[in-house]
Amino acid sequence: MLKGAIEYAPSTFEERGAAVAFTTPLLSQTRVRRGERSKLEVLIPSLSQGMGIYVVAWKSVPDMVSMTMHDRYLHDLIVKEDACSPHEIRRATLKAARRGLAGPKAAQAARHALEEDEEQSTLTHYLLILAILKAVGLESPEMLKAGIDTDEGQRLTRQLMTRAAESLRMDATLLYSRLADVAAVAAPVGLARSPKPGRLVRGLMDLKGFRDSLTDWAREVPSEAAPVAAFCAEVAQHTIAIGDKVLGDFHRRIEAIGPLMRDWDVEIVRVRAQAARMAWLLDGWSHITGAWEVVQTEDHHQQAATVNDLFRILPLLPRKESSRDFVEDAKQVRQAQRRSVRMLEDWRTGQMDMDAIRRIEAVKARAP
Amino acid sequence: MTEAADGSGRGKIDHLPGLESRLFDIPEDKFIEVVRLLERVRDHPDVRQTFAAIRPRLVQVRPDRRPTMKRVLCMPFEDVLESLSGVDVPLGRIERRVIEPVWRLVTECGDTALIDQLDRQVQETAPGNLNALRNIGRRLWPMAAQAIRGAVEQDGSRQMVWRLLHGDEELRRQVLDVAAFLDIGLTVEALKDALAPKPLPALDDHHVEAIEQAAQAAARQSPTLVYYLLLVAASRMANPADLLAVLNDIDLGKARREQPVIFAQLSGLVVTNLEERSARLDGKRDGAGGAAVAIAPEEAIAIAERLVASVNTTSAVMDFLAEPVYRERLDAVKAAVRTMVTGSVLDTAPQGILTVVAAPAASGRPVAVDDDAQTAAEDHARALRRCEGLADALGLHQPLKDAMASMEKGLLERAQALLAQYPKAAGDPDDAETAEMNLFYALRLLEMVAGPAKADRLRTAIMAATGEFGEE
Repeated sequence: MLKGAIEYAPSTFEERGAAVAFTTPLLSQTRVRRGERSKLEVLIPSLSQGMGIYVVAWKSVPDMVSMTMHDRYLHDLIVKEDACSPHEIRRATLKAARRGLAGPKAAQAARHALEEDEEQSTLTHYLLILAILKAVGLESPEMLKAGIDTDEGQRLTRQLMTRAAESLRMDATLLYSRLADVAAVAAPVGLARSPKPGRLVRGLMDLKGFRDSLTDWAREVPSEAAPVAAFCAEVAQHTIAIGDKVLGDFHRRIEAIGPLMRDWDVEIVRVRAQAARMAWLLDGWSHITGAWEVVQTEDHHQQAATVNDLFRILPLLPRKESSRDFVEDAKQVRQAQRRSVRMLEDWRTGQMDMDAIRRIEAVKARAP
Repeated sequence: MTEAADGSGRGKIDHLPGLESRLFDIPEDKFIEVVRLLERVRDHPDVRQTFAAIRPRLVQVRPDRRPTMKRVLCMPFEDVLESLSGVDVPLGRIERRVIEPVWRLVTECGDTALIDQLDRQVQETAPGNLNALRNIGRRLWPMAAQAIRGAVEQDGSRQMVWRLLHGDEELRRQVLDVAAFLDIGLTVEALKDALAPKPLPALDDHHVEAIEQAAQAAARQSPTLVYYLLLVAASRMANPADLLAVLNDIDLGKARREQPVIFAQLSGLVVTNLEERSARLDGKRDGAGGAAVAIAPEEAIAIAERLVASVNTTSAVMDFLAEPVYRERLDAVKAAVRTMVTGSVLDTAPQGILTVVAAPAASGRPVAVDDDAQTAAEDHARALRRCEGLADALGLHQPLKDAMASMEKGLLERAQALLAQYPKAAGDPDDAETAEMNLFYALRLLEMVAGPAKADRLRTAIMAATGEFGEE
């Protein structure tokens, strides 16, 4: 069940696991991954400010930790759906929050996020149709005027898409099906020319804001947490640098929609891998950037405590993703900040820390 | 100043009709902009009244105000100036009505050439440039202290002082206190930096060290000034009684022999301060027009926690003084806090928590959840749980236990009633979702009141009814 504390230096994103937005303070942002024999397991960092990480069989977690009702529900859902990727975990998390178990505000935010996903999916689909038509020289002002959600617009679209398929020497059904595949891959990231940035593009933008804000904070606020903040900003910067590169390449490939449709078998694998990499890169960051935003209205002491909390759950890049050994660097920072870490009261007393839960729920209401 | 003695300047102004109330509603950046404009004409009586009216928001927003000589003069004692809202009262407070006569004494009896010179410097200083203002203060404060003391204590100026202070002895005492704060102006300013942010949640070693150094510096000027220095230190703390707890370990330097007297003075003041704060609880409950103003449960608990912490610390250090009269006074403070907690958190729990779980409608169709009501009920449930930390100190163990048990029972009964009705809604997806939201909201309240272990039984029952994880 409990394998004991181990050194934590994952090579790949999959080995690092996907962050789960639990509301139990001890479990907040712990990572789930597929372990031996494909069984789900959870990674719980530094139970007592130690250096290691505990690997626990997913099914055993409720026996080990007193969990909130929200987390029990989410735990069951993840088991039921055998969820493990950032995308699957996010869907499960939104579904749990939508039930109201993390409070009314988190429920509203989850409903809003799910609606936004739907809208983004429709918008991406529409933009991709326009891109295909443009690629084969069939841009139609009439279709744009009629709008894609009217009968007339849809009739025109079908007509034009049939001609586009002919031009691409493929069956119209196949073209539709491939477009749907590309839309499903691209919607969470967002297209380069989308009037509304996609979720992961937004995540990358938020991360840039977080990096800037923490860099300023580390420089301007005299605090023992300043080196920790500077380290968080560095990790963010490394993630951003990789993210910008992956995103640029992803957008270029999607923009070249003609070649994408023609060299389908090779290209779709590439873009799918890039979208997945974006999701892994940004996994766990939305809670961190959200928590930093929430604490902006509070004093420097609260902000310093939050910096230390966030350091504990910082999504360090796996070894294969970066030439820099962040795990080793984090150890140096941890040595320095050990004195000023906010204790996880619930672990020691067995009591739920209502204030800590509330802080986590406030982040969930802001960044579901 | 023309502000009413109770500090409630709102709603009494004719010349800038409605401006004050609008200034409470506009966005923060606009508010700061308007404050900057008003400051250009701040000496106009109407504008002064407007400032008095909007002071609560000024305190909240804290825009960098345009520096004035009067503001520089007040810097050393701004921490002990009376607050106009809330329950917290600074220790040994100086009333705001003192500022005007003090300023008149300084300008009429002080070095006018120096005042004019410093005034020009103030006008050239940018808002927020604290160092520049302190440099001006360095020359203003000693001169002002001397001028005030000279005027109040010399026979020659007795008439003028009598006129300015309206023969008010209390005002005269406070004016002399102001002179003492001005004497140690620079030391006070340095201490403020060390004791930041205000209110300081707890005293660390480096805070105590800073207080010790500042106290020794004040003692070098005069042993009597140490008391005033400590008042500033106490007023910057969330729990002023914490200072008493460390005072006997502080080396007061040249004021070492006065230590017992200073300790007794401060102790008395802390107790009086606690009494004043608990009296404000009654004030809050009675409201201005005699109507009851309810304190929100979470606010009530936060106030109670601060007061109980102060009473406990004070009691602990008072044992040293062995003064039974203090003990009685502190018990009275605790009784006032207990009454407030009982009235605002325990007695109101059934209304605040239970009623949000809607009874099943006669039609069988579930009632839509009310997010605002649920949020308020959750706040109340959290407050109830936080009472646990105060139960021993306030003797609320049994009433709290009873309230919790009654909430647990009530929530379970209501949840069971909803659960029994659930099959009727299950056929329609929308109704089913509404019914499930009702159940999950009730579950969440139960979790807060009774803890996850007890709530988990209800969760299992809900999951069994909805069949969501049926195959498990």
